[in-house]
Amino acid sequence: MNGKRLEMSADKKANGNGKTNGNAAEPVWELRLYTAGQTPKSLAALANLKRLCEENLKGKYKIEVIDLMANPRLAKEHQIVAIPTLVKKLPSPLRQIIGDLSDREKALVGLQLTPADR
Amino acid sequence: MNMETTPPMLSEAEQLRQAIALGEVDAFLVGKDDKEKRVLLLAGAYQRYRQLVEQMQQGAITCSVHGDILYANQRFAQLIGVPLSQLYAAPLDGYVSVPDRARIASFLLVSARLSSIEISFSRRDGLLLPVRLDLVNFADGYATILVTPLAQQQWAAVAEDSLNLMRTALETLIRMSVGDGQAKRSIEVLSREINTLSRLADEIRQGKPSQT
Repeated sequence: MNGKRLEMSADKKANGNGKTNGNAAEPVWELRLYTAGQTPKSLAALANLKRLCEENLKGKYKIEVIDLMANPRLAKEHQIVAIPTLVKKLPSPLRQIIGDLSDREKALVGLQLTPADR
Repeated sequence: MNMETTPPMLSEAEQLRQAIALGEVDAFLVGKDDKEKRVLLLAGAYQRYRQLVEQMQQGAITCSVHGDILYANQRFAQLIGVPLSQLYAAPLDGYVSVPDRARIASFLLVSARLSSIEISFSRRDGLLLPVRLDLVNFADGYATILVTPLAQQQWAAVAEDSLNLMRTALETLIRMSVGDGQAKRSIEVLSREINTLSRLADEIRQGKPSQT
């Protein structure tokens, strides 16, 4: 998390527009994680998010990490107050999950990840 | 509270309350407008870094150009044998050996230009502790300085000399095919130097100041 933005993706089929991965039935999940440098909770949130995505959205997610320590103004778009905060941009509706995502079930509910998505 | 049925703002506030209560966040974004936005870290976010600074082998102090200590790490307190609580706002030169007090005063006054000096601290037990002071940062009238005990470096040099003697003796032993007397003397040297190294290693590990 050295830069302001760090993108990672497990989506090998991503078509560039971030909407689908080539298969119209499967949306690509666009997730943005707001962090504060390398604080323990920020690092935990990123690790938990990656694990969560690999277990439930393998091959159909994109994670963008925004380091607010480097540029606090980038919080404006989603009115971030507490860090870490995860924002699910796509698929709609937009949802926010505040915290380090250590509570797996709460995170899944927050992301509205239904068994059909997994 | 069922977050699915509450209005979005209330749901978000409840989620924030829960995250804080459960310790799942360690930073907040504060500031009334975009220009003033900044990240405010909770103490837990600093903890590991704090441990690193407190427990590293070098002392660290921040003091004003007038020599008043603003901050000192635990290691510095150990090095000079004074409780950490006594160091805050205390004059640094009170712990510097008398002959070096003028030098530390000049160092702090021109610290923006001078990067390092060697002085001796006067420990509470009366022993002198030769150190090198390295200026890390100077801003707003405060200098942050790393304190490296020179005694440890001197011990390391002694240990290195001992190792070299051992290597030479070993090479002699290896080359010799006859002459039990010489072999015996080489073994004696090795034994003695091993003891020296062992003692020095113990002292360095315990962080004892120079008593030589």
